[in-house]
Amino acid sequence: MGFCCFRVTELVLLQPDPFLNELTAMYGRSTENGSVWVTFKRSSMKSKAKRNKLGADALEFRCLVRATDGKKTISTLISAKDQQKFQSSYATVLKAHMHALKKRERKDKKKAAEVNKKEEKAPKKSRSSTKVTA
Amino acid sequence: MVYISSWDEFAERSIQLFRADPHSTRYVMKYKHSDGKLVLKVTDNRECLKFKTDQAQDAKKMEKLNNIFFTLMVRGPDADIEASGKEQAETQPTKKGRGRKQ
Repeated sequence: MGFCCFRVTELVLLQPDPFLNELTAMYGRSTENGSVWVTFKRSSMKSKAKRNKLGADALEFRCLVRATDGKKTISTLISAKDQQKFQSSYATVLKAHMHALKKRERKDKKKAAEVNKKEEKAPKKSRSSTKVTA
Repeated sequence: MVYISSWDEFAERSIQLFRADPHSTRYVMKYKHSDGKLVLKVTDNRECLKFKTDQAQDAKKMEKLNNIFFTLMVRGPDADIEASGKEQAETQPTKKGRGRKQ
């Protein structure tokens, strides 16, 4: 009985787009309870022994992005070519799901007025900026 | 581990930590919707930096840090993060300096 039974969650390596879809689903499933963890790490996807054998120059490093909700783990590798696209899509996914955070609460009157002013201005600005990007 | 209360300190120290040991430093973001809580953690398994928030405005700051870490991790610890910051500023000029905008 020398073995210890760990529940090993499989690390599914996905392409960036399916990863984002799955991440979206994870956030969707965890609204009532549970958390979602997302980890970034610079990785060559090689074991330590292999890394030492090959030497640092021969390795290709990319950004490993992992996500888990405690039940399922998914991951993807981001190369320089995918980076811009991925980071903006990722930001979009986060924006769409992180709406449980508090919007500025401690408003005294002055600040509240300022915020209102800015909010009045904001729609116009954001519209013009979407025009630029579109 | 004590949480760092100042965002700027957290961001600066976490980038330093990554640059000191790029191969064993990871950046973790934990979000719990039911509590409306966001926890960021950067660790190299020796030192651990954490930042906790429930404010939406901090999510915006986090987005910038995400982009910095993407740049550093994809392009290497010597990558110019100022340049990527500028790129972002150019594409979204209206967001610059308006932390309060929703």
